[in-house]
Amino acid sequence: MYCKKECIAMLLAGGQGSRLYDLTKQTAKPAVSFGGKYKIIDFPLSNCINSGIDTVGVLTQYQPLALNEYIGNGATWDLDRSRGGLSVLPPYQGNGKSDWYKGTANAIYQNITFINQYKPEYVLILSGDHIYRMDYAKMLEKHKETGATCTIATISVPIEEASRFGICNTNDDDTIYEFEEKPKNPKNNQASMGIYIFNTKALIDYLVADEADENSSNDFGKNIIPNMLNSGEKLVAYRFDGYWKDVGTISSLWEANMDLIGDDPILNLRDCQFRVYSKNQARAPQFVGPEASMVNSMISEGCVINGTVVNSILSGGVIIEEGASVYDSVVMDDVIIRKGAAVYTSIIDSDSEILAGAVVGKDGADKSEITVIAKGSVVKPEEK
Amino acid sequence: MAISAAGIIFSNLNNNTLSRLTRERTVAAIPFACRYRLIDFCLSNLVNANISKIHVVANYNYRSLVEHIGSGKDWDLARRKDGIKVISPFQTATSSSAKLFATHMEALKSMKQYINEFKEEHVVLMDSDFVLNIDISDVIREHEKTNANITIVTKLADKDYTSKHPRMFLSSVAGKVTDIAMSAVASTQTPELALNIFVMKTSYLRTLIDEAEAYGLNSFTEMMLKKYKHSNYRTYCYSGYAASVSSFLDYYRHSIELATNDKARESLLNEKSRPIFTRVHNSAPVVYTKTAKVENSLIADDCVIEGTVINSVLSRGVHVARGAVVKNSILFQHTRVEKNAELNCIVTDKKVTITEGVKLSGNQSMPFFIQKGRRV
Repeated sequence: MYCKKECIAMLLAGGQGSRLYDLTKQTAKPAVSFGGKYKIIDFPLSNCINSGIDTVGVLTQYQPLALNEYIGNGATWDLDRSRGGLSVLPPYQGNGKSDWYKGTANAIYQNITFINQYKPEYVLILSGDHIYRMDYAKMLEKHKETGATCTIATISVPIEEASRFGICNTNDDDTIYEFEEKPKNPKNNQASMGIYIFNTKALIDYLVADEADENSSNDFGKNIIPNMLNSGEKLVAYRFDGYWKDVGTISSLWEANMDLIGDDPILNLRDCQFRVYSKNQARAPQFVGPEASMVNSMISEGCVINGTVVNSILSGGVIIEEGASVYDSVVMDDVIIRKGAAVYTSIIDSDSEILAGAVVGKDGADKSEITVIAKGSVVKPEEK
Repeated sequence: MAISAAGIIFSNLNNNTLSRLTRERTVAAIPFACRYRLIDFCLSNLVNANISKIHVVANYNYRSLVEHIGSGKDWDLARRKDGIKVISPFQTATSSSAKLFATHMEALKSMKQYINEFKEEHVVLMDSDFVLNIDISDVIREHEKTNANITIVTKLADKDYTSKHPRMFLSSVAGKVTDIAMSAVASTQTPELALNIFVMKTSYLRTLIDEAEAYGLNSFTEMMLKKYKHSNYRTYCYSGYAASVSSFLDYYRHSIELATNDKARESLLNEKSRPIFTRVHNSAPVVYTKTAKVENSLIADDCVIEGTVINSVLSRGVHVARGAVVKNSILFQHTRVEKNAELNCIVTDKKVTITEGVKLSGNQSMPFFIQKGRRV
């Protein structure tokens, strides 16, 4: 027996994130480390529980092993429930045809049975690619108030970047009259955040119709939303004005990490009212040795610091030996930086080792020249 | 072969010796090594040996302990089968006041019904005022191999060891206990300090409890003294780091030791196969600002360091403001050290505020303690 829920969330976590190159070779994008102790997926899942949504389907497809292990039964986010809770929804073999998830809309289509179990009035569609804290309950409130079929969360982006996003062209009352996916000449700067609330019945009707259309690419932005607009459904934009960042590229992932530090960081995770939860690794407290120097940095549990760390984010269990230095970098779990090694403007994936005297990255490089060291690499000093 | 054992942890039979720290909490709930409480070491030692049936004997002041343990989830002890159970003092309809346990044996007698139902072959008794990271499964294997009645984990005692609380000292020949004394001086041979981890067969514990009732004895030590000469009591001499927290000064020294002694820290906290588990708080990583300067210190999550921290241990959520200096000090959760304040050899309880410019100093041999919530 399933308990009826007013609103359930479907989190699209199957994306490859190919623009993160080496970082997503063995890991799905939502399982990429962020901000020391977090993974990208911690943000939407924490948002769910902080917004009172206790039933979440997580749709996985690409390299799901690390992601599945991280998610577990959802206990990290208090989503281990006997009624509702978190369910991992991989593509499956059906009685008739079996298929990988062909697109975002098709992924939801293949899980209509899961949605129907909870008989929700509303379905919240999320993606696992963004860093933001948002109270979905407020968005749902607006969705109910306006009586829309679909509400799309939007954020103002610089107009010169607008052509990278799905742009919502709205009337004065925030109703959407046009949705343009990556327009060459954007008419405004309200970008879709990839967060949708649908009335369940309409969503299912459109998903079924979309599935029947052989020419469709089964995508929310390209097909479902335009189809709804064409059929005269009411679509409303929900303007969000907090911090939101698509971390789909190396430079944006690095930038978002850097947003956590500074005297008055743009992204502040120390907010007890709206905690971001992450899986605990039972590590020792961090130890700072006699020669250590740490400036403007964020450092996690289990780190042992004997060298210099400047403007950097260190995940759990990172070891910085004497004389080693790290500048403007993101260093993920259990990396060892040996004596005298230097790291500049880099992202170093977990379990890597930078050997004594090696140099990674360029001093003073900017965000377009970030060096990425793949998981488990061993970097030797250059031979002279 | 899988180990069949249950654990019994005594949470606070020694409250009086640590009175400053136990005013509002039991010994087992005293914070230690910035993110842990004393009981975390007992629980982790048992859990790391795959022992998942654990009884914690609580006496009084155990609210913070119960809050810390919660469902036991953080130690993987929220189980359908077994898991963790807190044994609190029991008040019946006919007795007007709950009877507190003054000794281990009294507590054991009171939980006889539970012990009678233990299906596990062995039982491990532990006190929470010893801090170590030990492979209990090895102790049990050794116990089985030597066919001992009781195996007591010990470490070689320091010559000058003095303790406010009576500790048990043992002499042994080839591991077999030949003498038991309550002070190191009385013992003639190389004394070993008991770390109060006792391994025995569950059936043997039942016999001890029955005999204690029969002879009207209320002390576990007295029972051991009475029986050791004609029993096979053996010591398991542990060579890793072990701290006995029997006084406030002990507590202070051992805490600072973790920041300044690499071996102690490695042995206790960084044993890869035996992590120490604790209640999870989901706090953000530590932030060091442009003015931070830190040396030889252990720092927990959620701290913000703008000032100077040397040879110190900082619990979660401590804020050291710009220009402030913290030396040789232990700061509990959410202590705030405001601008240009200076602390040396100070232990602050939770939520203490040291206001701007205040300078306080204790001494390494007499650290100064500031009570919970005080504003200086």
